[in-house]
Amino acid sequence: MEITGSRIPGSPTERPKRRPRPKKPRDGVFKQVRFPHSGVFAFSCFSMVGQEGISFAVLLMTAHFGDIVAKVCECLICRGSLTFHEIARFTELPHGQVKNSLLVLIQHNCVQAFSVPKTVGIGGPSRVSTLYMAIFDNIIHRMRFSKFHHIVKKDLGDQCAQLLEGFLQHGRLTFQLLYGRASELSGGKAKQVDVLSMFNKLVHAQYVERCPGVPFLELKSDDEVSSARKRSKSEETKTIEEEAMIAAAPSDADRFSGIIDLMTDSGAVTNDKEEESILEVAAGNKRKHEVLEMDEEIQKTINTNEILWRANYEKFVYCLKKKACVANARSRFGDGAAIVLEALMESCDPNIKNLNFVTSSMNSILEGVRGKPGGVSLTLEHVRAILEQLGCQLCTEETGVLYSIVLKDIIESCKNDEAESLILKKYGKEAYRIFRFLTKTGRFVHTDQIIETTFLEKKEAQKILWKLWMDNYLHMEKLNLHTGGRSEVFLWKVHKELVWQHVLDYMFHAALNISQKISEKEEARQVSVGNAEAEKLRKVRYILEASLLRMDDAIMLFHDFST
Amino acid sequence: MSSNGKLPQKRKLPQLPENEQKLYNLILSKESMGIWTADMKKETGLPNNTVTKALKSLQAKNLIKDVVNIHNKAKKFYMAVEFEPAKEISGGTWYSDGNLDVEFINILRDQCRMYVERFKVATIENVWQSIRDSGVFNTECSMQQIKEIMGSLVLDKELEELNSTGIGDFSRIQPGKKCYKRYKDGGNPKEQGILSSIPCGVCPRLTDCTPDGIISPKLVFISINGWTSRCQVS
Repeated sequence: MEITGSRIPGSPTERPKRRPRPKKPRDGVFKQVRFPHSGVFAFSCFSMVGQEGISFAVLLMTAHFGDIVAKVCECLICRGSLTFHEIARFTELPHGQVKNSLLVLIQHNCVQAFSVPKTVGIGGPSRVSTLYMAIFDNIIHRMRFSKFHHIVKKDLGDQCAQLLEGFLQHGRLTFQLLYGRASELSGGKAKQVDVLSMFNKLVHAQYVERCPGVPFLELKSDDEVSSARKRSKSEETKTIEEEAMIAAAPSDADRFSGIIDLMTDSGAVTNDKEEESILEVAAGNKRKHEVLEMDEEIQKTINTNEILWRANYEKFVYCLKKKACVANARSRFGDGAAIVLEALMESCDPNIKNLNFVTSSMNSILEGVRGKPGGVSLTLEHVRAILEQLGCQLCTEETGVLYSIVLKDIIESCKNDEAESLILKKYGKEAYRIFRFLTKTGRFVHTDQIIETTFLEKKEAQKILWKLWMDNYLHMEKLNLHTGGRSEVFLWKVHKELVWQHVLDYMFHAALNISQKISEKEEARQVSVGNAEAEKLRKVRYILEASLLRMDDAIMLFHDFST
Repeated sequence: MSSNGKLPQKRKLPQLPENEQKLYNLILSKESMGIWTADMKKETGLPNNTVTKALKSLQAKNLIKDVVNIHNKAKKFYMAVEFEPAKEISGGTWYSDGNLDVEFINILRDQCRMYVERFKVATIENVWQSIRDSGVFNTECSMQQIKEIMGSLVLDKELEELNSTGIGDFSRIQPGKKCYKRYKDGGNPKEQGILSSIPCGVCPRLTDCTPDGIISPKLVFISINGWTSRCQVS
């Protein structure tokens, strides 16, 4: 951790991303391209996070780990990847506290470390510098632990859920530590073989994964970067943080391989390759046998005491995404559609690397549908019609005809519903109609056209449009039809990307306020006099906590399900 | 009515004084678009009082009429009596005397909604035919009007626009054809949103409510009754 040096020149964290500017239509002269009050946005890990999101993350960190850890975390979220000394300088904390805070944050998967080469002086020797970056998404996932726990409990049962709890409580654990915890909780009754079996269930279902390492990144020179850009214009240039995350992740085979056989006393080997090795040993190569046994011993120690495991948030996000998509299909097309979509998502190959695209054959879908309550009554014709209604596409592969669906479209529809509902409640039915019209149109629309389509009086429509624009829900352009003349018209558009960002920030703000209210109620409960008052405060707290979880559903829709 | 808004009747013009004739010719040339008094003065070069006097005289002779421009009701527009105001001036079929005919629109919306409910799934043609046969309206509604009304019902999430699958409720409709049905939850989007169902979700003062803001979340009183909340500064 004793690393010195300044920030990497040209690092993406030094240049916060700018909000995208809308394209100008060809005709006319545009005077204003704007949202009236654009907020301050900080860059964090992979996505733009608004100030409210950062405040909420810091509040979570403070509640879970205290002020000092939260301070270090806030520094990393706001400033991007930093070295140890930079963190100490910016936070003005003693080195010991910074070190402990980083250890806590890394242990709980809120910070990822990575190394880069750094040249000391011009033409000087190259040294390795370790940078630390906050993983905003993992910080926010901390408020979802009850949801993650519930998913595993429903899927794999209470005992597996109890094991997962260990990972959620302690972040990273070796199998030995996990077993120790399970043994302690059961009063020494838990058998290692049983714990291993449950642990393997968790790993094979991808609820638990092997922890990423600390990657070393070779920084590209400016020439290499520019030539790479020329080679693939369509490919987006990755930030150093994105590259670090990719490099740190273990391969899929390692990530979900589990601990298969080395824990058992008999040493029974199920793997084909290992079986072959044993046969070779039996053939009489004694020295090789001894070496193999020694290797197995070392491997066993590494597997139990060295390899760190953690909860795989990606999988949990996918499960919650599935739940949201199915709920959306149910509300739009009925129970049949929900059953078919759920069967389609469950029957596809669980490839969590592509969370937005699911594909499955008709046979697998039908099998899944028949296995669900209410699914038996659905005929092949019904299922086919529902798949069409859901917008599934047909593709022919060697294995046969496959149905595929883009989950992003369903999530987009959920987002529309949420934003529209917000507009309806805040601004009324007329504003809701205008907003829906502009969302559906997806381009700049003249005020008169809006009035014609929405059946509103001109003055009323103008008032609503202005209000929505002032509150950042609409994008407005003033067009001079005759340059120098007085004739000007207003064009309006819902710029989805910016509106979604605004809605997300709004949600984080509401979540922050609810969290503060919860802590206030808890403080009041602790000093309350009398059982009745304490009970009342407990009920209020319960409702607020449930509200926060509901709010989180909406936050996930706009923040986690889009990627 | 002809396509340019001209009425079919023709009549013989009386002999007009020079100024009136000049103005009348100008107004007549503007056909169904009419002309604003300020533009008349600019184009004819006649003084204010002459124009005002001539316009009064032409109106008295029943040769011109004043029309309301929905885009600016304060501007006085004149048009020859042979013409009906163009859509750009009158606002089209949904306007009556320069005002949005809210009553007519609402009745037509109710009728369209009712027919879709009755059919479960209906095409625009089905609804149009039903309204025509019902005789609810004295004037005939065009297909375009029904289309616009259905569009507004879709925007209000009272109806859903779908393509027929040809099975179940859609069995009467050719597969792939555009049709309409009632929303599953009866068009009540208020219940759909998460934000609208929780405290702080749609609070109008949320922007001001921050730990160091005008209102502090810790100092507001939230009265919770089930899932609804009332929030006020204590």
